[in-house]
Amino acid sequence: MPDSLKQYRLVRLLFCLMATGVILPACKTSYQPSSLQYEQFRITEKAPQDTNLQAMIRPYADSVNRIMNQVIGNVATDLEKKQPEGSLGNLMADAVFAEASRVFSKQVDVAFINYGGIRVAQIPAGPLTLNQVFEMMPFDNLLVVQQLPGSVLQEFLDNIAARGGWPISGGQFVIRNKKATDVLIGGQPLDLNRTYTVVNSDYVANGGDDAAMLRSFPQENRGFLVRDALIHYFKGLTAKGEAITATTSNRVRHAN
Amino acid sequence: MPTRKRFIQQTALATGAFLAGGMLNSAVAADAEAEVEKLTILHTNDVHSRLEPFPMDGSRNQGLGGVAARALEISKVRAEQRNVLLLDAGDIFQGTPFFNFYKGEPEMKAMTMMGYDACTMGNHDFDAGMENFATQMKHAKFPVILCNYDFTGTPLEYKTVPYTIINKGKLKIGITGVGIEMKGLVPDNLYGNTQYLDPVVQANRVAEQLKRQDNCDMVICLSHLGFRYREPKVSDEIFAKESVHIDLIIGGHTHTFFDAPVVYKNKSGSDVVVNQVGWAGIVLGRLDYAFQRNKKKNLEASHTVVIGKKTSE
Repeated sequence: MPDSLKQYRLVRLLFCLMATGVILPACKTSYQPSSLQYEQFRITEKAPQDTNLQAMIRPYADSVNRIMNQVIGNVATDLEKKQPEGSLGNLMADAVFAEASRVFSKQVDVAFINYGGIRVAQIPAGPLTLNQVFEMMPFDNLLVVQQLPGSVLQEFLDNIAARGGWPISGGQFVIRNKKATDVLIGGQPLDLNRTYTVVNSDYVANGGDDAAMLRSFPQENRGFLVRDALIHYFKGLTAKGEAITATTSNRVRHAN
Repeated sequence: MPTRKRFIQQTALATGAFLAGGMLNSAVAADAEAEVEKLTILHTNDVHSRLEPFPMDGSRNQGLGGVAARALEISKVRAEQRNVLLLDAGDIFQGTPFFNFYKGEPEMKAMTMMGYDACTMGNHDFDAGMENFATQMKHAKFPVILCNYDFTGTPLEYKTVPYTIINKGKLKIGITGVGIEMKGLVPDNLYGNTQYLDPVVQANRVAEQLKRQDNCDMVICLSHLGFRYREPKVSDEIFAKESVHIDLIIGGHTHTFFDAPVVYKNKSGSDVVVNQVGWAGIVLGRLDYAFQRNKKKNLEASHTVVIGKKTSE
């Protein structure tokens, strides 16, 4: 028996050596993921805080919050970001429409807000802080005006329709097969041969969000940011003793 | 004698069979425990300058997120687990006044203090210009990983790396990263001469090198491509199915809150896991991987990953 055990060991050793010799080059990559347990851990307000991180951000936060906690208005009802149309988008589009007319000293025909540029999902009823406006529109995009042929405006509206609808002020349309139909500008059907005064951010006018059709048209700007327009508009309402409010009114809808 | 001879033959056959099958034999594996290695991957995406929790203003996200709470959670995991990686899939910048004021400095400092191992770039990380991103990278003690942006002749030339390799315990982990196409998304002047290269082609090329030449046990790709789209546009979903040699895609851009990681079959029939945790640091993703030792590692052979929800420690 010891004899056979010796032989068994020898055979095993031989095979192991052979095996090692054959497999050695690949042995460096010898681990492979086999199982995975996941957890999507929510960071809530009850979570304990790391004091080192708190200490690091405090000086930054103090400077930011000293300015940003300023209340600039009062929101009457919850405002929602929604497609094809939402109350928050309508408010923002109305704000840039009004502000563009003032800043550029001319009547504008239609104003847009790119949906992806609205960075909060909701503004709840209550006091509106400067911080909320920065979070709503954090980008330092300029408010610009372009003179666009009706045909280009139609092409732009089709891009908006294909994207599910953007906030609009001064016009309305119906999304049908990813195209903008039944377009009204200033209450009149869109005239493909007319020129329109159109308000956008420079981001969109420069071709952002696939608005390449706008790129070749000259832009007017007064160094005034879209966010500046919102702040001025909200402060204006507050100065008049008015609350900030908005509704949806079928400016953009899907064809049934 | 015949008995002994037969015994040896049988043993040889059995041993040969086990070797051919590439399976482990308990006689060879002295310690089964040593054959399993673990790795915990923590990850975020699209934090968008959310250094403090959302303000307590009655909105749905009030009180959620914030780096101080995230940092403590990360420390807790590090205290419990030996092998931990902390990764971010881009859009670190833009979204709160912190960015308007400080252009990303406290974001990078916070990520360094939390001990991030790597990140990739999102489209909004270009928002204050490439020069600014390069400036803020001075506060980052972790690499920015991208394999499909060619920054030649831009302020970000030599600032990013196409991949990094991190050793954790017995594991060798290769990490690469892919960014989204900037045209039509990022203003032209902000990305300048940056050349966008096909993310699937580039990531597959890097992953093959990481697995075959650098002998990595796992390849992770940080992606800012976005989860999936209605229109035919490259996404993590398409990327995963077209990939080879990538085990895990940490996604971003579309701000998608996954209930659970999504598993796809890659081009060679292996499992590739995709996960994304919404945005703003509301959720910290945690993936606890167990690795099996393979005596015969055949890269072409497909393998599957058994996936389950973490229940308790």
